[in-house]
Amino acid sequence: MIRKYIALLRMKYIEMLAYRLATFVWMTGAITQPLITMFVWMNIHPEESGSFLFYFMAVIFVERMTSAWDVWELDREIREGTFSNLLLRPLHPIHWAIAENIVYKWLFAVILAPVWLVGAVFWPALRPHMTAGQAVLFLAAVVLGAALRFLLSYSCGLLAFWVTKVAAVYGVIDVISLFLSGRIAPLEMLPPVLREWSEWLPFRYMISFPIEIATGVAGGEEMVRGFAIAAGWMAVFVVALQWLWKAGMRKNQAVGG
Amino acid sequence: MRRYGRVFREFFRACLVEELEYRSEFFGNFIASFFGLGIALLTIHIFFYQTDRLGGWTYGEVLVLLGVFNALRGFIDFALRPNMPRLLEHVRRGTLDYILTKPVDSMFYVSFRHLVFWRLIDVALGLGVIGYGLYVERYVPSAADVLMFFVVMTASLLLIYSLWMMLMTTSFWVVRIDDLSFIFDSFFDTARFPGSMYRGAVRFVITYVLPAVLITNTPALALLGKWSMAAVLAALAVAMLFLWASRRFWRFALRFYTGAGG
Repeated sequence: MIRKYIALLRMKYIEMLAYRLATFVWMTGAITQPLITMFVWMNIHPEESGSFLFYFMAVIFVERMTSAWDVWELDREIREGTFSNLLLRPLHPIHWAIAENIVYKWLFAVILAPVWLVGAVFWPALRPHMTAGQAVLFLAAVVLGAALRFLLSYSCGLLAFWVTKVAAVYGVIDVISLFLSGRIAPLEMLPPVLREWSEWLPFRYMISFPIEIATGVAGGEEMVRGFAIAAGWMAVFVVALQWLWKAGMRKNQAVGG
Repeated sequence: MRRYGRVFREFFRACLVEELEYRSEFFGNFIASFFGLGIALLTIHIFFYQTDRLGGWTYGEVLVLLGVFNALRGFIDFALRPNMPRLLEHVRRGTLDYILTKPVDSMFYVSFRHLVFWRLIDVALGLGVIGYGLYVERYVPSAADVLMFFVVMTASLLLIYSLWMMLMTTSFWVVRIDDLSFIFDSFFDTARFPGSMYRGAVRFVITYVLPAVLITNTPALALLGKWSMAAVLAALAVAMLFLWASRRFWRFALRFYTGAGG
């Protein structure tokens, strides 16, 4: 399995290099919305500008690390029938997707981390105050968030076996997550009702939760509960994905490709 | 000019016929537009949950601004956006030759040939939000306010068209990217909020270099009775300048286009 993965990773790496410009555009694409939101919050609470700067820079970073695009890929592949090519290969198609995610996110991390370092030299607000334990937990939460978002996106993509407008369905989910994952506002700024919802739904654990660990907002008991809820959603998504996969395989009747 | 009016009407008719083929889509699109606007309103609501001023603007004033923004974006999606990928395709495959040989202005043709009608819903919804914002603000615009609103709105439309056209023209050199419109979106998104909200270099750039702020803020201010003759004239002058620049750029780019023999 490890040898297979090494081969997959190498393949995806070469594929990525072939589309350098597109990859670059992809990476810079999601930056403006958090930046604008940051300016709004700095305007509302000027005295906390520093912490907003840290928060929204972290949002950009974590959002890139956990972003998931598989729903669009699956939607297209299933609709056009090219998914059959993947099915014929001896390895479950999800491994290709996982390898692709690892390669791209590794690249994002390699590029974004030095950018952050340089930024931290100029803006003291960007210097994180984390203990080693916090840093480890932060990274664990990022990986967990990436897994959650990937599973959600992949499960949605599999719906393409039944419906033709999967992208629209995912669009709605994405908008809900915009509010509840902490991209529009740090969750503690939300009205209490939305805050409560955010705690129990999976979206917080895709972006906000790791940042809360890094800034120390979520610590101790709160953090343990967060990990537990996230793990619960993880289990739900894994089961849902497997079920969708089996049902989808029965339904699949693609021709040609 | 008369001829261009007639050609535009013909584009309009052709696209309408095309769109009526897909009537069942209309309902879904309608819902999507409503949903998008609802999200924008919710966002502003969340901001104003923490404050009562944003860059010096009240809740009602920001709503008027959002209405202007939504209407202008509806216009972009109606007339401009559908044409972007097609121009890229023409340049890549060399089929731009057919357009250049047509007896209409090529810049006019590539920017208005394809229209997506249901996007006009966004314009209507935007106007609705403007009305609601004025109601929240308890302000009834005078006749002069409304007149100035239409004048600066025209200037804004010209500005948007020019900026969009300049971006589209770069497709003669960067044919590899499938869709350049996201660059415009990133920039235009900054116009959703009052320009006075931004700080430092960002504020300078979006006010003077790429006048995103000018595009949405001046019409909103005009309707709220906060216009000045100087600002209106400046908006018109800037619009003319950008239109001229985009025209020159298009001509310049055409010289680089060698065609591919069809």
